[in-house]
Amino acid sequence: MTSVETAARSYRVLLERLPVRRIILVILSLVIAYGVIAGTVATLQTGRFTAEDWVDLFVAGVARGSVYAIIALGYTLVYGILFIINFAHGEVFMSGTFTAFFVAHALADQGLLNTYPVPALILLFVVSALVSMSIAVILERVAYRPLRGAPRLVPLITAIGASLFLQYTFRGFYGAQAKAYPNIDILQGNVPVAGFTIQRAQILVVAGAIILWLALYLVIERTRIGRAMRAVGEDREIAALMGIDVDRTIVSTFAIGGALAGAAGILFVQLFNSVFFFMGFFPGIKAFTAAVLGGIGSITGAALGGLVLGILEAVGPILFLTGIGVPSPNQLQPVVSFGILVLVLIFRPGGILGAPEEKRA
Amino acid sequence: MRRLPRYVRVGLLGGFIIIYLTAVGMIAAFHERNIITGVVQFSVVLMTLVYMAAGYLAARAPKGGSPPLRPTRDALIAGAVGGVLVGVFVILMTVLADAGYTPRDMFIAITPATLDILSFDQGTYLSLPVQAVLGAVLGLAGGYLSTATPNVRSTVTRAISATLIGALGAPLFSVMMAGLGIPSRWLFRSEGLTIVGTVFVVGVTLLLRWYLLRAGGVRNALDRVPGVTRKNVNVVTWAVVGVVLAVLPWIVNTFVSDVLGTVGLYILLGLGLNIVVGYAGLLDLGYVAFYAVGAYSVAVLTARSSFLVGADVTNLAPDGFMNFWVAIPLTIVIAVIIGVLIGAPVLRLRGDYLAIVTLGFGEIIRTLVLSDWLKPYLGGPQGITEIPSVPVGPFNARDPRILYYLILGFVLVSYFVSTRLKYARIGRAWAAMREDEDVAEGMGISVIKYKILAFVMGAAVGCLGGAFFAAKLSVANPGSFTLLVSINVLAVVVLGGMGSIPGVVVGSLVLVGLPELLREFGEFRLHIYGIILVAIMVFKPEGLFPDARRARELRGEATVKEPVPALAGAAE
Repeated sequence: MTSVETAARSYRVLLERLPVRRIILVILSLVIAYGVIAGTVATLQTGRFTAEDWVDLFVAGVARGSVYAIIALGYTLVYGILFIINFAHGEVFMSGTFTAFFVAHALADQGLLNTYPVPALILLFVVSALVSMSIAVILERVAYRPLRGAPRLVPLITAIGASLFLQYTFRGFYGAQAKAYPNIDILQGNVPVAGFTIQRAQILVVAGAIILWLALYLVIERTRIGRAMRAVGEDREIAALMGIDVDRTIVSTFAIGGALAGAAGILFVQLFNSVFFFMGFFPGIKAFTAAVLGGIGSITGAALGGLVLGILEAVGPILFLTGIGVPSPNQLQPVVSFGILVLVLIFRPGGILGAPEEKRA
Repeated sequence: MRRLPRYVRVGLLGGFIIIYLTAVGMIAAFHERNIITGVVQFSVVLMTLVYMAAGYLAARAPKGGSPPLRPTRDALIAGAVGGVLVGVFVILMTVLADAGYTPRDMFIAITPATLDILSFDQGTYLSLPVQAVLGAVLGLAGGYLSTATPNVRSTVTRAISATLIGALGAPLFSVMMAGLGIPSRWLFRSEGLTIVGTVFVVGVTLLLRWYLLRAGGVRNALDRVPGVTRKNVNVVTWAVVGVVLAVLPWIVNTFVSDVLGTVGLYILLGLGLNIVVGYAGLLDLGYVAFYAVGAYSVAVLTARSSFLVGADVTNLAPDGFMNFWVAIPLTIVIAVIIGVLIGAPVLRLRGDYLAIVTLGFGEIIRTLVLSDWLKPYLGGPQGITEIPSVPVGPFNARDPRILYYLILGFVLVSYFVSTRLKYARIGRAWAAMREDEDVAEGMGISVIKYKILAFVMGAAVGCLGGAFFAAKLSVANPGSFTLLVSINVLAVVVLGGMGSIPGVVVGSLVLVGLPELLREFGEFRLHIYGIILVAIMVFKPEGLFPDARRARELRGEATVKEPVPALAGAAE
């Protein structure tokens, strides 16, 4: 073997052993770290935003993040027990917002929405949660149960189909235009909190989210069905042997997740005041991001992930990008949220709270 | 609910389906579509099929149960129950409207006109008996079908399908017959079959059935003709297909040629995605990203308004930066680079995470393209205009016919390459990897390398599709690159059968070609896609034209890991 051949050979070996992935990852993380730091410093130096602006953005982020957190619970619950991504969960949420729209309009027509706002809101919550819950249960029955045990991609494809179906069902019912959601007078306006003004709707959303999260936490930790859910998530076969009705537990999981999504729908319309048949997609995918960010399968993780994502999304584009000279940085909001999703999955698939992802069949 | 007899439940379900179809607007929209002109509309066919299906199911043994004792009675009751439900719905809606709660304020599709369709213009209160009788009769017919011999059943279903195909394809067929110089007035009128036409179609179907039943199938019938061997049957089939493909643009109008071009593009995209999803088993929901990359690359490289030649929309340069044919290889190189950049970090992820991440990438690319930030280069929401057509010697490629041949050419090349890839070493490596990654790794297959290969090849094909798309429309704007494109292509691949190459062709024809031609379906296209995706995955995961190996995989895995039967009731 001549020296040239040996050199060529060792070069080839070197090339083959070259950790392409790692190199790309390192470069990627360096670029992002540099961009974030440089952007932040530059933006803060411009001094275009006051402390008040940042607080407003932050509070908006927390409010939005709480909605993500509640939707994320649905992903996390289903994932924790079935290990599938319920891709149609965003549409379950959308059904909640449409139900809220329907009921709120009926109440507003009768003038009940503003004369009895608190009972009206409670009624809205109950009806939306019930409708979303039924849709989630039907979804499980039609699109997921027949496919238990099929290759992983199969339920994902049916989920996409179910998503389309639900979106266009609601489009058929209510029309393709975005609809205005009636205002509730007591939720308009601001409240001064510690020297800053915060919108009333945002307070309702955050408070509602905290209550829902606590309720779910208690259900999972303290009730019989919560224990059954944890057991089935741990090991389905053993749980069945221990006398747990697996099918029924799975249905309950979907039902609870669906009810939460419906409730989240109401919180969401308080913030954004309009409903649209495609509106489930982005909150859905962002809530999924939140669930993964916090560590999918963990309820605390969902809450944490939702808040972190909401804040990053609200503050991030302006904080990181204004300084670099990007015009209208808010347009790039999806880049921030999807970017976070991609980065979390690449660098820490287990999420903030989760253990590093172990390979599951 | 469980207490109700099965036939009542089936009937109620049927009734609910019809009410659902009404509420989403399908009944009203499809009432515009003639099947037998002036006699039967597609909306009526839908109702008919639902009632017949209810009767059919009611007369059939439930899964794992015994067949009903009195199938005819059950079928009749099922249909009637469905009809009564629909009738009650019509009456309820009218009563509500009379009381001042107009249903259409909320549910936009429930209009008085739609309710008239349901009552067959007999007035609200007669809708109940009309629908009940209709349901009972059709349910009975369905029940009869379900208890009839297989021969009768398949003959009837074939006659019905032939009529439907003839009627729904009427606009296309009449254009084709006109192109061939055959009179078609006696067969088709205002986008439906005439009565004579219906008799003709049903008659031909029955004759054909009768002949084939007597001869014992197509194969046997052909074998009996002297001088026919299986080989020259194949040659003749391919020759016929070739001739049809070659002359097709000349016997249809330019609109249909244009549709054919779109179908061709989707076949191209489908073949690309089929490599990723079908061969390698990687679910890529962001396939549109590569489509967009292809379109925008060609746009930037060839458009007269591109920043590369220092021009903009108001100030066009005399020429683009380069010629389309020079831009194509460059575009593919760009796609490959982006494919590796995206693929290398994420391909290690588990299947469902990969799907979401690719979806994220698709949205990232769309947002970037749409943003003010990149507007000076990519044109923001307006996109890039003034993209020249594909230069093909002396011909004008804006003519959909020329474009059709071009796309056809590329489709044939991709078809051939896909087929060869499948049985090559690389194709077998993909199959092994798809079936079991760990085992494949153990057999010495570099999983990550083959995944990236598949991803990049899919990217290159998708990019090619995007390039043609841009040149076809002469614009590239973000509105054309939404998630729905990815889902369309995925639906094409899934319907045909993952990993099956003829499946992609069939999938594109059915999912892309049909809705373009049947404009009444346009609005409901995605609605129906959704139903198809779920139904295919639940009932026939291997698709309509399955690839043998993949079918075994999908079926096999589904049966090996049966869910654990729960010890139901033991918890109480």
